[in-house]
Amino acid sequence: MKSSITRRKFMAATGGVAAGLTALGATPSKVFAGEKTVKIGFLAALTGDAAGWGLPGLYGVEIWAEQINAAGGLEMGGEKYMVEIISYDDEFDAVKATVGAKKLLFEDEVSIVLMLGVTPVLAVKDFMTRNKMLTTTLVPTDISADAPYLFAPVEVHPFYNVTAVDYIARNMPHIKTAAIATQNDELGLSSLATYRAAFEVAGIEIIEENLFGFEVTDFAPVVSKLIAANPDVITWDTAYPDYVNLLTEQAFLQGYKGQFVNCTLDQYDHILSKTSVEFLEGFLWQFPDLDDPIMQGPDTHFDNAAAFYKTYAERYPGAWTAVSWEYAAALEMWRAAVAAAGTFDPPTVAEQLRTLSPVPHAFGDAEWWGEQFFGVNSAALGKWPVVQMQNGKAVIVEMGDVRAWCDQHLDVLKKHFVELGVPLAG
Amino acid sequence: MSRRTCLNAAGIAVVLAVICVLPFVVRPYQLDFLIFLFINVILVVSYRLIAITGEFSLAHAVIMGVGAYASALLASLPISPWISMPLGGVAAAVIAYILSFPLFRMKGFYFLIGSFAAAEAIRLCWVQFNDPFGGFRGLRGIPVLEIDLGDLLYLDLGAPVPYYFFAMIVGLIFLTVMYRIEHSRFGFVFHAVHHKDTLAQSVGVDVRRYRTIAFVTGGFFAGIAGAMLAHYVTAINPGLFGLKQMLFVLVWVLVGGLGHFAGPIIGVTVLSIIDESLRGLDELRPGFYGLVLIATMLFLPDGLVSLPRKVMQWLVWLRKRGEGALARRE
Repeated sequence: MKSSITRRKFMAATGGVAAGLTALGATPSKVFAGEKTVKIGFLAALTGDAAGWGLPGLYGVEIWAEQINAAGGLEMGGEKYMVEIISYDDEFDAVKATVGAKKLLFEDEVSIVLMLGVTPVLAVKDFMTRNKMLTTTLVPTDISADAPYLFAPVEVHPFYNVTAVDYIARNMPHIKTAAIATQNDELGLSSLATYRAAFEVAGIEIIEENLFGFEVTDFAPVVSKLIAANPDVITWDTAYPDYVNLLTEQAFLQGYKGQFVNCTLDQYDHILSKTSVEFLEGFLWQFPDLDDPIMQGPDTHFDNAAAFYKTYAERYPGAWTAVSWEYAAALEMWRAAVAAAGTFDPPTVAEQLRTLSPVPHAFGDAEWWGEQFFGVNSAALGKWPVVQMQNGKAVIVEMGDVRAWCDQHLDVLKKHFVELGVPLAG
Repeated sequence: MSRRTCLNAAGIAVVLAVICVLPFVVRPYQLDFLIFLFINVILVVSYRLIAITGEFSLAHAVIMGVGAYASALLASLPISPWISMPLGGVAAAVIAYILSFPLFRMKGFYFLIGSFAAAEAIRLCWVQFNDPFGGFRGLRGIPVLEIDLGDLLYLDLGAPVPYYFFAMIVGLIFLTVMYRIEHSRFGFVFHAVHHKDTLAQSVGVDVRRYRTIAFVTGGFFAGIAGAMLAHYVTAINPGLFGLKQMLFVLVWVLVGGLGHFAGPIIGVTVLSIIDESLRGLDELRPGFYGLVLIATMLFLPDGLVSLPRKVMQWLVWLRKRGEGALARRE
């Protein structure tokens, strides 16, 4: 039988699709004709290894913007402005981030740029200072005294990891030993320094550590070595989401029965399907679902948290991760500063942001912190939740006080950062 | 002067005129894109210099990084970036020379894997040694190029437009040098070493020596490209010179066409423009980019550089078919 698709037809169709997709790509996601608009830049990895900490955040920011626009827009100086999100995939690459920052600032004229952190932030740091580009990062070790427009308004990674270990020390006295495995990179090492400090303060001995490289694809030996040390608690530190999935699955397959404490447990429904509800029961980590009753309380500062979570879960089933809400939470804080400043002008908003006291953090009142660590108070530090798996659902079991812990044990924290050679500031 | 030479000269003149006008008509971020494109053009053409000897190296991106790190570290001593940049190229060439001893004991697939392992060893040194390489974070605050002649002239080459012209001039000089090398006696031997290495050996050509020369020369130019990148971005880290970047170099060269000097230049230019113009597609971009690559490899196995010839063939075929010289398929 003769095929109805000739090579020429195939090429014509491919060309058509290409032209269409290119046109789509060149068009802003949403245009608000005749309405006043404020633009927000999203400069993070949407593809590649770090996309797991970029793309879910973009989804969250888009939902946040939709909610604001549905309510009539963002209020500033008595007028309403529609919010437009403009994204640029930096691929977690310094060069791409440099190009992206210039595009967002000079061409799109955004009022704030949301970034993930580390490499791309460091690459554009001098540029953002020179051009007074208000920028947020999720990694507070990026901030430094020479970057006055860079803030870590939401996530104080890895410092909040101390709260879950502190919870263990107070509520699980039988836990005396710990084992740690994570990837050997900056996220892994800075988190390792924090866990070392937290375990030291909690009186828990670390009996096994494994820093694996990115070439590792078989995690069975990594987990075997940890389990062989017979620890009371295991942590994957701040391993990348895919690693957490694979490591946890291996621990399940190898019959580990002890406690887990971790920075993240992204897409835990998927991990539950690979393991079991019984296996993950009691797992401790740091990132709640926003429909948690505590997040609806008067002490938190994330408008319509439950509605945000519901929309997210419906639109992107199983995609909820640690960063799904964080970029949006940074925008909540920015919104408060804009309202107080009465302008979108980035330097003025930055100045206003710095004067906020208390800082309206998603998890409650916080204060700007970091001078002793980074040389500048640009990280919002306050409460952070300890989340526990209970019957297959994330539940906040307490709001830990990160700031109090850091104020009390800063020397221990610094000691472990220095020991591991992790820079204290960006 | 033949008609073909005249046409080539006219074509080059038009391209140069367009390149000179571009920085005044494009937007700032597009200017940055063009600067990085110039740097990548040097990178891919220097890679081709090695590849025409018949060996595909996976160390080229790291060799580029050696140039970047060396220049950045020397500039922090402080040595003027005008001196540290060429020294960065020299450092890259020296490292390439050292690597050539173990690597050119191997051929083909073994050379490929060996070059990857050697490159990773260097890259992991940058990761592991915070002092002096800065570990994962790399180096920041790398000085930009300046021309400071006191009251007479001051030019900050850290600004996009001056750096664009700097990168363009350096790029053109290097392309000319590499073109001349390929069309010199050395270049002919490089091709001979690739296609008939046993025959070349039988007439007294030291195959290993020529491969080493190509490897070291290509390394030098890659090192300069790395130094140019470092002194413009002012921040570098090991991730910039990893396997991902190396795979991009391979794709640019192969899709552009290895058989012609212009092939890698066309490859890196076309694919970079496609990649950038698809950025609005967010997470769908790699998939679509992949489709473009597959289509190119399927329909243009000799690379994009063969497109004009293919088009001519299609046109001739269509004309003949129109004239009834060929039997219609349907």
